[in-house]
Order: sequence, then C-alpha cells, then structure tokens
Amino acid sequence: MRHIFKFPDIGEGITEGRIIKWHVKKGQKINSGDPVVNMETDKVVTDIPSPKDGTIVTLFGHEGDVINVDDPLIELEIEGVEGTKAQEIAKEEPQKAHEETVDEKGFGVVGSIDVAGDSALLPSTNEGIIEKDDTKTELGQKVLATPVARALARDLGIDINAVKGSGPAGRVMKDDIKKHKTTIQTPVSQVIEKVEGRVEYEDLSQIRKTIAQNMVISKQTAPHMTIIDEVEISKLIDIRNEYKIKFKEKGTNLSFLAFFMKATAQALSKHTALNSEFDGENNRIAHKKYFNIGIAVDTEDGLVVPIVKDVDKLSFLDLSLKIDDLVTRARERKLTLDDFKDGTFTITNYGSIGGMYGIPVINYPQAAILGIGRTLRKPVVIDDSIEIGNVLPLSMSVDHRIVDGGEAVRFLNLVMQYLNDPISLLLM
Amino acid sequence: MKYDVIIIGSGPAGYVAAIRAGQVGLKTAIVEKAEIGGMCLNWGCIPTKSIIESAKQFESVLNVKEFGISGINAKDINFDWQKVKKRSERIVLRLTKGVGFLLKKNGVDIINGIASVQSEKSVIVDKQLFETENIIIATGSKPMELGGVPQKSITSIQGLLKSDELPNSPVIVGCNPHAIELVQFFNLIGKKVVLLASESSLIPDADKFLSDFIHTKFKKSKIEVVFDDEIKSLKNGVLVTKSGEYETDCLINATDRKAIIPESKVKIDIQNEFVKVNKYLQTNVENIFAVGDVNGTSKFAHTASAQGLHVVNYISGIKKEFSNTKFPINIYTYPEMAQIGLTEANVKEEGIDYKISEFPLSANGKAMIEGQRDGMLRLISDKKYGEVLGVQIIANNATDLIAEAGVIMNLEGTVYDVANTIHAHPTISEIYMESGFDAFEQPIHK
Repeated sequence: MRHIFKFPDIGEGITEGRIIKWHVKKGQKINSGDPVVNMETDKVVTDIPSPKDGTIVTLFGHEGDVINVDDPLIELEIEGVEGTKAQEIAKEEPQKAHEETVDEKGFGVVGSIDVAGDSALLPSTNEGIIEKDDTKTELGQKVLATPVARALARDLGIDINAVKGSGPAGRVMKDDIKKHKTTIQTPVSQVIEKVEGRVEYEDLSQIRKTIAQNMVISKQTAPHMTIIDEVEISKLIDIRNEYKIKFKEKGTNLSFLAFFMKATAQALSKHTALNSEFDGENNRIAHKKYFNIGIAVDTEDGLVVPIVKDVDKLSFLDLSLKIDDLVTRARERKLTLDDFKDGTFTITNYGSIGGMYGIPVINYPQAAILGIGRTLRKPVVIDDSIEIGNVLPLSMSVDHRIVDGGEAVRFLNLVMQYLNDPISLLLM
Repeated sequence: MKYDVIIIGSGPAGYVAAIRAGQVGLKTAIVEKAEIGGMCLNWGCIPTKSIIESAKQFESVLNVKEFGISGINAKDINFDWQKVKKRSERIVLRLTKGVGFLLKKNGVDIINGIASVQSEKSVIVDKQLFETENIIIATGSKPMELGGVPQKSITSIQGLLKSDELPNSPVIVGCNPHAIELVQFFNLIGKKVVLLASESSLIPDADKFLSDFIHTKFKKSKIEVVFDDEIKSLKNGVLVTKSGEYETDCLINATDRKAIIPESKVKIDIQNEFVKVNKYLQTNVENIFAVGDVNGTSKFAHTASAQGLHVVNYISGIKKEFSNTKFPINIYTYPEMAQIGLTEANVKEEGIDYKISEFPLSANGKAMIEGQRDGMLRLISDKKYGEVLGVQIIANNATDLIAEAGVIMNLEGTVYDVANTIHAHPTISEIYMESGFDAFEQPIHK
C-alpha cells in the first residue's frame, strides 16, 4: 500500500517552508518517527518526522525548494498492508499536533507553536474505495457532489465534506444536504430556542454590521499583542489647566486628547513601524510618512473613528478645533467618507467615559492602536517619598506581524515620556 | 439443489435481474412459461416499434420529393404487412436469442413452465420443487378486459402482431403511449382509424403540452379522437359507444394493463389488483420481492429493469429504498415525443417556484436539414438554483435525445450546466444548450 505524506500544517500561520536537507533517500527503509527532512520556516528550523514505517518511493522536491503546507513530501510503500487494513489506515483521522512552548528571543513574550509530531499527519487518498462509511474527506480532495447539493450546502452554511452521500459512489445529493441539516443542531439555535420570549431581536444597523465585519477581519488577520503601562501626568495637567482658559477664549477646549495625539504623532515619526501597514501580497511593509490619527468616538449608533490628518503639522489650537469639529459631526452623523480616509494609527480614549484598562482591537490594516484610560489619583514614589500622583493607564495593541514587543515598548516609553514631561514634546 | 434466488418471469424486469444476480455470484434460476424476453421483446416494445418504424419509412418515402428525389410514384409503393411482420420477427428472434445467451453465460438456469410459490422458500414448476433463499416475482401484466363486448371479438396488440392481414378501419381503445402510437401507425399507412380514449387526456401521465401537441397533430391528420368514451356493443361490424356508432373491422384493446399474479400457497398481499410492495420492492414476505408491471409501480420496460437490478442489489446487501422518479417516458409517434421528471402540472402541485425555458426545432439547422421543423424542447427548472426538474421533447429522435436530460437530472444538474455544455453543430441536441440559455439569458439563435 502506498502512502503519501504531505507537509503538515505546523501552526503559527506558516504556509510554506524551505527544504534545507533531506535526511532520507529513495529506496531507504525508515521507521515511524525517523526524521525525514529538515525544513526552514519563517519561525523555526525543524525536522519533520516520518508518520509510518516503510520504504521511501518518492521524494517530492529538492533541497532549497520552497514548498507549501499540504504539498506532498514523500511517498512511502508500507509493506504487508493490503486490502481492508490499507483502507483503515487510509481512513485514519489525523490526530492533533501537540504543542510545545518556546520563548521568543529578546522579548519576554511567551508564544507557542504547534509542531509536527508523529501524529500530525494526513491520511493518504482513498482511491479505488467506492464504499466509504466515514464521511470525512481528505484535505484538498473535492467531495463528489451534485451542483445543486453544493449550492444548497453553501446557502445553508453546511460543510459538504461532512455530509454522507447517498448517490452513486457516495455522491452527495441535495436530499443528503437536507437530511444533514435536520440532524445538526447548532448550540446557538438551541440557546435561542430556550430563551425565546425573553430575548428581543434587534436588526443590525449598517454601522453595527461594518464594525462587526472590521473587527472580525482585524482579529482574524492581524495577530494582536498588547502591552500595558502607566504614566504620571501631573505636569501635563498643570499645563492644561494653565492654558485651557486661553483656548476657551478662542472657542475651543484644550483637551487631554490633543496632548495624547501630539505625543503619539511625534513618537510615531521616530518609530515608523507603528505607523505602517503589512503588505503580505508583496511581502513587504509600507511605512507611512504621514501621521493621520483616528479617534474612536462613542456615538449612540456605535463606534466611529474619524481621522485627524497630519497631526504632527497642526498647532495645539488647530488640533483642538479639529477634534471638536469631528466629535460634533460624529454625534450628529454628519461625517463624510473623507473623514474616515487614510488613517495610519488610532487612539481610543475610553478613560473619557470612566474606563481604566482595555485591550483594544487594531483598526485594521493599521499596525497599532493606543488605548487611554481614566487618570487615577494614586500613590507614586518620587525621590524615595510617596506622593499623590496623577496616573494615566495606557494599553496598546500591535500587529505582531509588523511590530515586535521590544519596538512596541520603546514606542510607548517615548509617548509616556512626552506625556510625563510635556516640555520634551518641544525639545526632543 | 438450493438456489439463492428464483425469478419468475423473463421480461425486462426478470431477465435483467437474473443476469445481474448471476454476475454477482448468486445461484440463480429464471422461470418462463412462454418466450424468453417477455412482453417487451416478444410482443411489446420491440415488435411494435419495429412495425411503427416501417410505417414511418413508408411515410417518408412518400415525402422524398422534398429532398430532391424524384421517380417515386405514390401509387407504386405498398405497405407489405407480411414483410413488415417478418422483419419485426427477425429482430425479436435475434434479441431473444441474445438474452438467452447472456442468461447462460452468467450461469442462470432457465426453467420452462408455469411457476407457483409453494412456500416462502420454494417454487414449484411442473410439479418439480425448487428451493431458494429468495423469490423475485416478475410476471408482468396483461390487457384489462373491455366491458360491453364479447372478449373474443377484441384484438390485443399481441393478436394484431400475429394477424395475417391488417384491418382497414380499426378502432383502438386506450389512453396511453401504446394506443397513441398504434393509432398513428394505422394513419401513416393510410388506414381509417378511430381512437376511443377512456379519459379526457390522450396521455394522462405526460405533460399536457405533449398531449395537446399530439392531439393537434391527430386533428390535422384527420384521425378521429373521442374522449371519455364507453363501449356499449359491437354487432355486424358496428361499434356502438356512448358517443355514437363506428364502422370497424377490428376493435383493438390498448388499454392499461393488469398484473399477472402467480399462484401462491404463501399469502402475498395484493393491492388494487397488483402485488403490494414496500419501498424496497419487498412484498409482505421478507424474502419475496415483486418487480416490473406486476407491482403496479412501473409501467415501462426500463423502469422494470431498474427495479430488477435494485432488488438484486438489495439481496446482495445494498439495502436502499427504490425511489428513482427520473425516468423517461418515450412515445414513438411521428415526430417522437419524450419526457422525463416533473411535468408542469407536477411542479405547480408541489408549489415549486419554477421557470420554463424552451427552444423550437424551427430554429435548429439540423432539424431543417432533416425536414423536421415541427417540435421543440422544454426545460422545467426551479428558479432558485436552476435545477432541471423536468424535460419534454418533441423531435424525430426525441426518445434518444431525452437520455441527456436523464444524466443531467440524475446528477442534479442545472440550466447553467446545460447551457455551458458545448453541443456539437449541427445537431438537434443544440436545442438543449439553447433552452438552457433561455432559462437565464437569451438563446443564441432565437
């Protein structure tokens, strides 16, 4: 019996790897667990073990070749396994890969990767086996189904691979989909059934739909990493108190947000990775030379994030006027598409409504989002004495594809320096 | 010796089941009281279509002028019944011999005689007892009796095929494809023919579209059709019915048929004069099955064969329900008519949101070449997915063309699949592609 072993999904979003060295050659007998190939991925260099005992019939690819997950690696001839036993082996479910914890170098963030264990293997094909009594189809193999069955499954959100076909050679017919639908009960619908009458249904507003869509894309696309810190801002409070009346005379508020934005823009200009975008298609990162900061505004209809353009070039007065204008128009739903365009970074100021810490979700495709909490009066140690300080909680999420922990902390430290000592905003 | 299966009757249900049973290694015997092949081969499908083909050839010779052929004098051509009959008998002989050979080749024992079921696991033929694990009843059907006249004055289709001379003014009773075909057969060879339909439609099982088409065609051909009629008496060549009096030299019974039920010492349930079967084609006795005409769920040779195969699969361990409703109904008229799947009345009844798309032969190149512009193809599809639910065709080769629809429908194909399948040009089959396009955009040639 022949068995094709494919390059398994070893996790961490790795989709390809480079063959560094073959440990085996054609015709060689190997045992289950023997290293087959040394592969380099963008995370690790690792040996991939053989899933089974057997003789190597084919090696797919040469050293130096880049191959994708699911591409065949080797073909094995498994001796003494024929007929039904062979079919059983072919049908074996791939078992879960086990997890191994690794420490990431240079920064103390602990991550984990799935490694290809002895069991992280895909079954070989079921060629020639007409009667199938399991409904699991191998990865990448198109299930036999009629056009209408496919369309119906798509409409009903049913995974057609999980449906047992009743047609010739196990073809999935539309009635199989209908029957399958009646046999599956999603937990969600069960919950709703139980509380029917005590649940009120509200149709999604357009803005809610958009938020939902964007949040899902962000969380599914950008691997988030969040850092949390605190900064003492008594000096900033003093300066603001000193100047806010003068600003009032000019028809605006000198808000803390203006300081946060200025500090952020200035720090971004020194740490451009935080002001960039991941361009996976072209394998590059786009560093933006303009600093357009979005401000999350809580409206009755939901969250909107209008953009203040070129924050670095605006005076505090102009910035304050712009913030006032955007917030007012956001609440009156008078923002235009232009107000949402070309943001490079976002600040969410949940402290303004009393929140302390949050783990913000990146406004994708931006690289980072800064969350600002409520200023707390609490004891701080200043020159070996305890004083009452004004402490501002900060949390920042970054797209870990672009920004590593070290860079994120360096950036946030600089923001904190500007807020702790606002004069440094002018001098440094 | 004990058999795995004994099949009673060697028509298209029985002999197909027997061959398959032999192929899958079952020890099999088939019992036949007359000729191998049953009604289909001997006095049904094959010989009737053979004489109809002769009539169509006769008709086409009369029309060869259109194709640029001259010198044929209508007065000189003659429909030679003896030779027509001989030709059909030759075809029948060749086919029945073929079936006999296949049965032997697959190790099936042929037992001649009349079978009766002795017990759940035994059959008697001419006083000889045969033991078996399973029994398949495939005894077929016979014409229903006509009331109002003595049975001896009625001719069956079988009787007609055996007769030395053809009648000159036949009256045909029936309301089904065989009756329609026979009426047209007589019309094509120049006989005065009357059709007495017992119902209000010519072919109750077919889409009204087909029934209406052939009715119009009959009117044009001056064939007298009387609906909802009832026979009162037949005396001195005059048939008296509810609707009037008809002079005739032959009253042909082409009505629906009734089951031929074998004798049985085991109680086998009967329903409406047919052997009652469940969804597995099983009678009330676990190891006794009934397939084909005898169970009243199949009226055609091809569905009978499908049932025969199904039961052999069941005996071999593939225990599935028999539920194939996607079978063609072929009518060998001139032009031929065929349909498969749901009719327009069916989809309305089932409340399906449907669409009808169609394409006429008059816009098809091959149809013009062949001089057959009378006809069309209709696709009935569901609006949501475009699944093809039913097809009707009127064309000279409709009975073959319908096979494409069978494949489409068994694969639950859609109008998009039909339209996007490249059909060769010039062929009549292009009307499929065009009708497919008609379902969701414009056909090319309309």
